[in-house]
Amino acid sequence: MLQYLIKRLLYAVPTLLAVLTVVFFVARVLPGDPAQVMLGEQAGAEAIQALRVRLGLDRPLVEQYVDFMQGALSGDWGTSLVTGRSVLGEVLNVIPFTIELTLASILLGALIGVPLGAWSALHRNSLVDYATRIGSLFGLSFPAFVMAIMLLLAFAIQLDWFPVISSGGGGSVSERLLHLALPAVNLGIIMAAYITRVTRSSMLEVLGEDYVRTARAKGVPHRAVVWQHCLRNALIPVVTVVGLYLGILIGNSVLTEIVFNRPGLGKLIVGALTQRDYTMLQGLMVVYTFIIVVVNLLTDLTYGFIDPRVKYQ
Amino acid sequence: MAEAPALSVQGLTTEFRIGGQWHAAIRGIDFDLGKNETLALVGESGCGKSITALSIMGLIPKAAGRIAAGKILFEGQDLAQLDEEHLREIRGDRIAMIFQEPMTSLNPVLTIGFQVAEALRYHRGMSQAEARTHALELLEQVKIPSARQRLDDYPHQFSGGMRQRVMIAMALACKPQILLADEPTTALDVTIQAQVLLLLAELKQLYGMSMIFISHNLGVVATIADRVAVMYAGEIVETAAVGDLFDRPTHPYTEALLSSIPRVDRTSDTLMAIPGQVPAINRMPGGCRYAPRCALRQPVCERPPALAPVSGSAPTHLARCWVRAGGDR
Ligand SMILES: Nc1ncnc2c1ncn2[C@@H]1O[C@H](COP(=O)(O)OP(=O)(O)O)[C@@H](O)[C@H]1O
Ligand SMILES: [Mg+2]
Repeated sequence: MLQYLIKRLLYAVPTLLAVLTVVFFVARVLPGDPAQVMLGEQAGAEAIQALRVRLGLDRPLVEQYVDFMQGALSGDWGTSLVTGRSVLGEVLNVIPFTIELTLASILLGALIGVPLGAWSALHRNSLVDYATRIGSLFGLSFPAFVMAIMLLLAFAIQLDWFPVISSGGGGSVSERLLHLALPAVNLGIIMAAYITRVTRSSMLEVLGEDYVRTARAKGVPHRAVVWQHCLRNALIPVVTVVGLYLGILIGNSVLTEIVFNRPGLGKLIVGALTQRDYTMLQGLMVVYTFIIVVVNLLTDLTYGFIDPRVKYQ
Repeated sequence: MAEAPALSVQGLTTEFRIGGQWHAAIRGIDFDLGKNETLALVGESGCGKSITALSIMGLIPKAAGRIAAGKILFEGQDLAQLDEEHLREIRGDRIAMIFQEPMTSLNPVLTIGFQVAEALRYHRGMSQAEARTHALELLEQVKIPSARQRLDDYPHQFSGGMRQRVMIAMALACKPQILLADEPTTALDVTIQAQVLLLLAELKQLYGMSMIFISHNLGVVATIADRVAVMYAGEIVETAAVGDLFDRPTHPYTEALLSSIPRVDRTSDTLMAIPGQVPAINRMPGGCRYAPRCALRQPVCERPPALAPVSGSAPTHLARCWVRAGGDR
């Protein structure tokens, strides 16, 4: 098991190197001088040249590449062109908020989505099934930031239960949770909608499997058929979807972060894009690659936990 | 028959809803299963053999299926009228079933020890530990090598033949009076097939069970059955003691089945050489259902024939054919 983990992480190294290389060349091979792009049309030639020197763009490509890779791998990702602070430092500052929000919304989504989806499948075509299907469709198609604003208006401003600015809260756990609540509910509802739909359809499929009939032929009570024979099998595709969506969610939380005024990776990347913070963008690309690798690893580990056919080798 | 039958099926009709209309998958099925007897249900795929067995088990999917008529008498009760809870108490305890597909009929995420022990826990109220000990004995009885080490293995770690042995162990857990074996060897290699058949026959003897053995291969049936009911398009078209049937096959369909028995020198027995195919349940011919495929077809075959005694054979030998057994024309 530990061996498998180490192996998987080692496999991630070439992926990371490849992504870094792509990031490096995309920034340099694409038409347009980054320095020019950053400074805008009106910038004078000396200013551009100065920035080129500062970024090291005037040096030979190979030298730049070696430098870039060394820096990236040793954690020296340069400083933000906008704030002047270390890129790694900025990332490390916001990452806890992102992880916290992602985990909370997934937990919420699973706690709502799995029982609801399973229940909906078991009572197929009942009123509740219809309600669940419509509700989950609504949850998926409703714009996240509109929901965020509504949550904010209702629970933070009208009822005053939660802080309007979820900057993360200070030290105490309860305060952190208070700040986390609304953004997590916002993303959790979307997650729940996804999980409900996937659980429902995979549960329906599992209910028609031969082994479910076998269980019933043995006289296993309905309840045990559902909980012991069906649910675990039905969760396998759910894990896939959660894994896929996790990657999206991390980048997708930007509107939620903005509405609730909460620090996070999403906000960082949008800021870097709008301000053409070139070093920051490079760093964030690496962070995202790493996140995807870790998420994939977690997904695979979860498969193994659910499905004995999965072998760690 | 002096002794009361273990199971008596009378006029059993099971229907499915297709496009808003109910169509019979099996119609007016009659048979008695004697104590210790093996009755074979034989016919091509789609003739209604599995539906007959599933009706007895009360496992017809409720969403689009129903037992529309008939009785299934077992221990003085009519299973067709019994509610789910009482059926559940009988299933896997006094009547058990083995399915055709060993690859998909076991739950992939549960150990076989758990799956074999399950029936014992629910029907005998055994604790996990007790049921496990008993499951081990069962696995040894069906000759799973080094059963003790394999209790905690998962189905994918077993070959098809071994899985079917596990299925048998599961079915026998509560020592049922009746075993329904639905094509238990069809999915297996020929050599494995023979081993599993032998095991089934052995265990049937040991446990003193009655068995309904379903197959599409009359050749397999000859070695294991006491009596045969040939099914076609949801009806029994010929029934007789196994010797009488092979001595005097009467219905043209039985003849066709006999001539399509796979030879030993061919490996696959799933291909049948009878021209044409079994009609779908919503496209049944009005008269004799076999008539469209029958070489002996006469004008009279436009009307549905009844099961009638075959002249010159035993009185229990019946066939549903105007041409060959049309006594009451
Ligand atoms: N759930 C169902 N819905 C509709 N038709 C069905 C269903 N199950 C079986 N049938 C039909 O009933 C007929 C008999 O099927 P079955 O008993 O499975 O045949 P077999 O003799 O191969 O076991 C077939 O024509 C099949 O298509
Ligand atoms: Mg069948």
